[in-house]
Amino acid sequence: MTSTRNMVLTLLIVAIVCSVILSFVYSYTEPLIAETQKQMTLDGLKQVINAQEFVEIIPDTLWRAVDSSGMLTGIVFRVFPQGYGGPIPITVGLDLDGKVTGVRVASAAEGLKETPGLGVKITEPEFKDQFIGKCGPAVQLKNDGGEIDAITAATISSRAVCNGVKKGIETYLNYLEKPLDKKCVFSGVQEFVEIIKDTLWYALKDADTVGIVFIGITQGFVDCIKFMVGVGTDAKINGVKILYSNETEGIGVVIREEEFLDKFKQGYPETITGATVSSQALINAIKDYITRYKEYLK
Amino acid sequence: MNRWNLFTRGLVKENAVLVLMIGLCPALAVSGTVRDAFGMGLAATFVLLFSNVIISIMRKKIPNEVRIPVFILIISTFVTIIDYVMQAFQPDLYRALGVFVPLIVVNCMILGRAEAFASKNSIINSILDGLGVGLGFTLALTVMGAVREILGNGTFLGMAIFGEGFKKSPVIFMILPPGAFLVIGVLKALINKYVKKETQ
Repeated sequence: MTSTRNMVLTLLIVAIVCSVILSFVYSYTEPLIAETQKQMTLDGLKQVINAQEFVEIIPDTLWRAVDSSGMLTGIVFRVFPQGYGGPIPITVGLDLDGKVTGVRVASAAEGLKETPGLGVKITEPEFKDQFIGKCGPAVQLKNDGGEIDAITAATISSRAVCNGVKKGIETYLNYLEKPLDKKCVFSGVQEFVEIIKDTLWYALKDADTVGIVFIGITQGFVDCIKFMVGVGTDAKINGVKILYSNETEGIGVVIREEEFLDKFKQGYPETITGATVSSQALINAIKDYITRYKEYLK
Repeated sequence: MNRWNLFTRGLVKENAVLVLMIGLCPALAVSGTVRDAFGMGLAATFVLLFSNVIISIMRKKIPNEVRIPVFILIISTFVTIIDYVMQAFQPDLYRALGVFVPLIVVNCMILGRAEAFASKNSIINSILDGLGVGLGFTLALTVMGAVREILGNGTFLGMAIFGEGFKKSPVIFMILPPGAFLVIGVLKALINKYVKKETQ
């Protein structure tokens, strides 16, 4: 009887002492753990884009990256595509042109469940740094028509990362435009009044309407071209900025250059030799949009 | 048995993985690369050392009949505390070793040493035993990790050693589970041939 009671008592005491110690340690470390995890997330964000501060837009999912002078430098988002062993936590940075500035795949300690030695190679720079500078359809495996080399024997993990990054870009690209300073296409204007959501604004100067700013989209040579234009009440163009384009490297991309875009201020420019399709598409689209929004200019 | 022997016998002669065949689950699962294997080994050594000390301190107070549940309670509490404290104060270390910590709770090697040694021996002897067995475990895992990483990935600690050509098309199955069984089998055979003969 004594030995039975002794057994039960010992077990009981040990269990109680263990639970008390554990709950004490837990309540003490839990806020610290939450803090370090938050810091780790922030460090992760800094690894994919060059920025000082991050403004959370969607909790734990989407941030606006801001540099030391408070200017927007891009966005950072997290996606969790399904890999071979489970969801893959990926952090992606995008610059203002919608191009990838960096990709970070969480390590096994942070919840990556890919095969050790194979799938986990997606965390290595050799693979993930391939994404830097890419956008749109290029973010796919070479087998699927993109520009990313898959890891030998880890195609599923590789493809999952590509799909995650690609889908994230498609989902969050819109967030790049909203904060875009409309003043860059209409200098000297103090205020903008939205007429059509995310598309058309009145430009106000000293409470007078001096023109409009609109965002338009057209089909370029490779992909769509998204642009923002400021037009004065005299129908003169104040500025043009390309928000998104994915034209041919070395040829069509010249439509992004200031030199070409500045010409719009003196009337419609000539098309660019070698980039006729891209530049013509942009010129025609701007003409069409101005005709369409003509009545707002009165 | 002198104390030096207590320490050294765990290294090779009574190596937990290759001779006693305990702690096989982490040995098979976490020996894909040298880095992982070494990290797992060190984490297990650390836990083993302290669980041996605690069990040894309490050995006279635990009734024989309920010793195993008590050991399990103590070890799992201890490991969980380490897990929390490491997360809170050493996030970098946790990033490297954290993934192994939960695996250690269910490592029978630790319960095995508590049962077979620490519950019957003094604290100092238990420390030596824990260190020896832990380092032996680390050694076995690191050797397995080295063989598997070199053949299965063409690298050692991440550095290509047979040139980029081999790294592009290595013996991939060495890094997959079958490779772990193959390597542990071959190592066990070598130990049987050389080490056991010596002791006889």
